[in-house]
Amino acid sequence: MLTVSALCKKLPDGRPILNNIEFTVRRGEFVGVLGASGAGKSLTLRCILGLTRVDCGRAVLATPDEDFDLTSARGRRLREARRRIGVIFQGFNLVKRLRVLDNVMIGRLGGISPWRSWLYGFTDAEAAEALEALRRVKMDHCAERITGTLSGGEMQRVAIARAIFQRPAMFMADEPIASLDPSNSIAIMKLLAPLARETPVLGVFHQPEMTARFCTRVIAIRQGRIVYDGDPNLSQRQLQDIYGEELDQVLRPAAVPIPSLPELAPAAIEAASAA
Amino acid sequence: MPRISRVMTPPHLASRRPSGLRRLVRPALIAGALAVLVAWSADQCKVSLAELAQGAVRGVEVLGFFFPPDWSAMSELLGPALITVLLAAVATPLGVALSLLFGLAAARNLAPAWLRTPARMLIGLERALPEIIILLLLVAALGVGPFPGVIALAIGSIGMLGKLLADAIEEIDARVLESVETVGATRWQVIRHAVIPEVLPSFLANAIFRFEVNIRASVLLGAVGAGGIGFELSKAMSLLEYERAMMAVLVTLALVFGAERISDALRRRVLDGGKLQ
Repeated sequence: MLTVSALCKKLPDGRPILNNIEFTVRRGEFVGVLGASGAGKSLTLRCILGLTRVDCGRAVLATPDEDFDLTSARGRRLREARRRIGVIFQGFNLVKRLRVLDNVMIGRLGGISPWRSWLYGFTDAEAAEALEALRRVKMDHCAERITGTLSGGEMQRVAIARAIFQRPAMFMADEPIASLDPSNSIAIMKLLAPLARETPVLGVFHQPEMTARFCTRVIAIRQGRIVYDGDPNLSQRQLQDIYGEELDQVLRPAAVPIPSLPELAPAAIEAASAA
Repeated sequence: MPRISRVMTPPHLASRRPSGLRRLVRPALIAGALAVLVAWSADQCKVSLAELAQGAVRGVEVLGFFFPPDWSAMSELLGPALITVLLAAVATPLGVALSLLFGLAAARNLAPAWLRTPARMLIGLERALPEIIILLLLVAALGVGPFPGVIALAIGSIGMLGKLLADAIEEIDARVLESVETVGATRWQVIRHAVIPEVLPSFLANAIFRFEVNIRASVLLGAVGAGGIGFELSKAMSLLEYERAMMAVLVTLALVFGAERISDALRRRVLDGGKLQ
């Protein structure tokens, strides 16, 4: 269970960019965070992960054996905490020159000593388990391939396999489908939704129709504040409140009008082909 | 609406553009200053066309002394040639190991400032010192022989390989390293599982190229006291055994040319293997 309380973050000049962010993610939940660009969605996630320092507030991850305050943990304690969170990033932040299987096994690095990772590496049992994680995202046939040769959707599946192999207490996904086409996006969401039943997932998304279809709950952030927390099905009015001016773009990203070109006169075509 | 009949320089730019002869003044001044500088330098170096002409005549005469090369000396020269190769063969791996440490320590995205700044300074200082000067300093301490040569070349490799490695590491996408950190990995694990896989092919290719450079440098260092084929060449010259010297030149040529071909082939293999198909 993750409990975020009174999280805030200021710019160096004192302007607040996150303001009193509070929410809880419980077992069995798939929580989607929505909001316009620059609203502070990804920043919230980074603060919870300890990648960005907060100015106030706490994010506590409760696991069966221990509780971790992610915002104040440092060094070994922070690594212990991170080990328990499987992060899936927006980009394809995998090591491109490694094999797919090696990238999945990186998920378990927090659990082994640096000596082992330098001198021995992973055991056969761990490799078998990593392959199992790949099978779960239907990528086991690519285990031996060099990661940089995969497509975007394939890499995102590998990133999910890495997070699964990590056996975390929670998953966090930073815009996992932002750079994918619609069919790949749905495929990734279909992988995340059943995961959430075992281990809670907190994900930042851009598409309200995706969160409505797959998430169990939606949190909306506008200008650094939580403006909505509840049912994933949002009305047009609620979306308007969340996105403001940006709403049209969010709802119909593909509907950018293509400027119609004036038809070329036959004479112009002839002139061009003669030249 | 005013009609624009031709493309014109916008007024705010037109006023800055000097016109006519004035446009030639600056280039002419710079060229003139450079010419004076070169002429003065030539005078300081005692460059003289008359001497060049005389020397050319003498040169042709002297060239005759070198031929035919003394083929019988070949078997005697192979031993020293081997020393030259071995010197580079010991110095290169040593230099590669040192560069690995220096490169990691000098990379902005890995090392903290207290480590990075001195590492960068040492690499920079090292690059500013030619190997031959390092050797002369070492000879004062260690005496003449191949050993100071090995150390000089190993240190000499750090300047190039360490810098290239640090640059390659800094080019790695920060998000990749961050993503490995978020699984709870330590910095050394990030280095082992993300940094090294990403930079290894180019680092190996550079190391192989450095081996080739080291063979050439090893010939040169030999002449100033490190032994090997370079020493044989300088000895033959000072004893006026020109035909033997010519043979040493031929052996050196074969050595350097061979090293170049082998290095080219190896590097191509390393880089192709690391390329993303």
